Amino acid sequence: SVQAHKEEENPRKTMEVNGFMPVPDSYDYDLIVIGGGSGGLAAAKEAAKYGKKVMVLDFVMPTPQGSSWGLGGTCVNVGCIPKKLMHQAALLGQALQDSHKFGWQFTEEVKHNWMTMTESIQNYIGSLNWGYRVALRDKKVTYENAYGEFVGPHTIKATNKKGVEKLYTAETFIIATGERPRYLGIPGDKEYCISSDDLFSLPYCPGRTLVVGASYVALECAGFLAGLGLDVTVMVRSILLRGFDQDMANRIGEYMKEHGVNFIREFVPIKVERVEEGTPGILKVTAKSTTGDQIIEVEYNTVLLAIGRDPCTRKIGLDKVGVNINERTGKIPVNDEEQTNVPYIYAVGDILQDKLELTPVAIQAGRLLVQRLYAGTTTKCDYVNVPTTVFTPLEYGACGYSEETAVEKFGEENIEVYHSNFWPLEWTVPSRDNNKCYAKIICNTQDNERVIGFHVLGPNAGEVTQGFAAAIKCGLTKEQLDSTIGIHPVCAEV
Amino acid sequence: MAQRLALQRLLALPTRGPLASHGRAFGTSAGRRSTFNVQDGSDFQDRVLNSPKPVVVDFHAQWCGPCKILGPRLEKLVAKQEGKVLMAKVDIDDHTDLAIEYEVSAVPTVLAMKNGDVVDKFVGIKDEDQLEAFLKKLIGA
Repeated sequence: SVQAHKEEENPRKTMEVNGFMPVPDSYDYDLIVIGGGSGGLAAAKEAAKYGKKVMVLDFVMPTPQGSSWGLGGTCVNVGCIPKKLMHQAALLGQALQDSHKFGWQFTEEVKHNWMTMTESIQNYIGSLNWGYRVALRDKKVTYENAYGEFVGPHTIKATNKKGVEKLYTAETFIIATGERPRYLGIPGDKEYCISSDDLFSLPYCPGRTLVVGASYVALECAGFLAGLGLDVTVMVRSILLRGFDQDMANRIGEYMKEHGVNFIREFVPIKVERVEEGTPGILKVTAKSTTGDQIIEVEYNTVLLAIGRDPCTRKIGLDKVGVNINERTGKIPVNDEEQTNVPYIYAVGDILQDKLELTPVAIQAGRLLVQRLYAGTTTKCDYVNVPTTVFTPLEYGACGYSEETAVEKFGEENIEVYHSNFWPLEWTVPSRDNNKCYAKIICNTQDNERVIGFHVLGPNAGEVTQGFAAAIKCGLTKEQLDSTIGIHPVCAEV
Repeated sequence: MAQRLALQRLLALPTRGPLASHGRAFGTSAGRRSTFNVQDGSDFQDRVLNSPKPVVVDFHAQWCGPCKILGPRLEKLVAKQEGKVLMAKVDIDDHTDLAIEYEVSAVPTVLAMKNGDVVDKFVGIKDEDQLEAFLKKLIGA
């Protein structure tokens, strides 16, 4: 171990000479967290509370288009935060339309300026990046903007953007490297297409856009882009929102279609070419049907790929320390204490196999893990009944089982579904749809009609769902729900 | 903040300060002498810590609205002091180490420095009278 530290200037030489890295007998840090996102930062800050010496490594590999960002991870920079803000921008556009019927008079045509919105959002994100730096400093967590990879037992190599390499050792590691958008693997994808990593800081309006994919990322982005007045098409290979309740998914799709989003179903792109340079320029997409031989060619200003995300686990040296990953997906299997097959290496967040990819889940898992490590608690992260919301134009909040999974697990005869359409009061005056908002609960008749699934489609679905998630955690039954008097006039009373 | 957008904005920014033509030629040329952007740690050492004259250090960020108001206001008043005080501007995203060293949490943060020591400080936006008093105190004391 002394040798490794002396020859720090040329770690590669050390490794080549020895053929292996020796196990250090004292460590630079108690804990090193690889990845400064939701899970990583939560874990690091929690560990510092217990007086541990902690380091966080965060590094963003630029996208093929050159986009990069600061500390905070996906959620803050290219995920939840800018997404919700752009969704809000689109909702405000709708509100402006509605306002006429409520008496607001304005004669000027209302237009949207992409740059103004993007700058405001990026300014906010910049303040968050700084806030995280200050928080880490205040909690005395060491932070390096460097790419971390394992090079031997208890040892990682951190490479900063200038290529300077440093070695660090720690008693415990937490991998929280998150994911990045997947590319199609077709000609022109990396050169001409963008992903969500690029969209939120795009320095020009995307214009007529093709969104490839039917994930919540695809639908949310398509939704707000259309809401801002752009011509948007979604190209779907098979179903919408795989993994979510399919009845709700189809309702979301229908709503989007009726509100100006075009859908091309059962096609996949096979080639993207540039027809005209410019910002945004014109791209030609060639797509093939999944059910036949039909080929189509369509032109767009921008092509946004949202076909899935892959974990950043393949190039961080996991093989050097023997951490198992799922070879096909890249995800890391862990036990219910977030521990990998290597006892001193843990993992949290989106990279975990068979766990939900949500910021609050990563934060909770990270915090509880650190409390178990250093504060002697035994509480494990509860991954059941985690609420979530999809911020499509008509928002969808859910907690618990989808109808399909409930039927599969409990049997159709043991499930009772209670459902209803509702018409938000705010939508009545401006004559907006009276039969689109919808709510349903799925109850287990064998267990006192316990509510095991909650689904709501309507405005502010996220706000509505949060409270019900707490109730479900307490074991809410249909009877209790019935005996709870509603608040009027709100959507949640349904 | 996303870097591609930040670069675009930098390139599109109209030139402010000394090179912007505002008709007050006397004010702008004095401004050019008395205000500068810190380039790196050793530049800070040379031009701020080792400066024979007192220096106000303006820690700011591209994403900070109030900074964009305070910056020019402070520059104007520094120029008015006819060379008795200098002004150094530090972008906290470009020079994070420096900002962390001087314990900058919120921006704008302005430090008054004399002979390498911090003798005064304020955080947030101030009006012209308050800034004038701040500068006079630094020069006079």
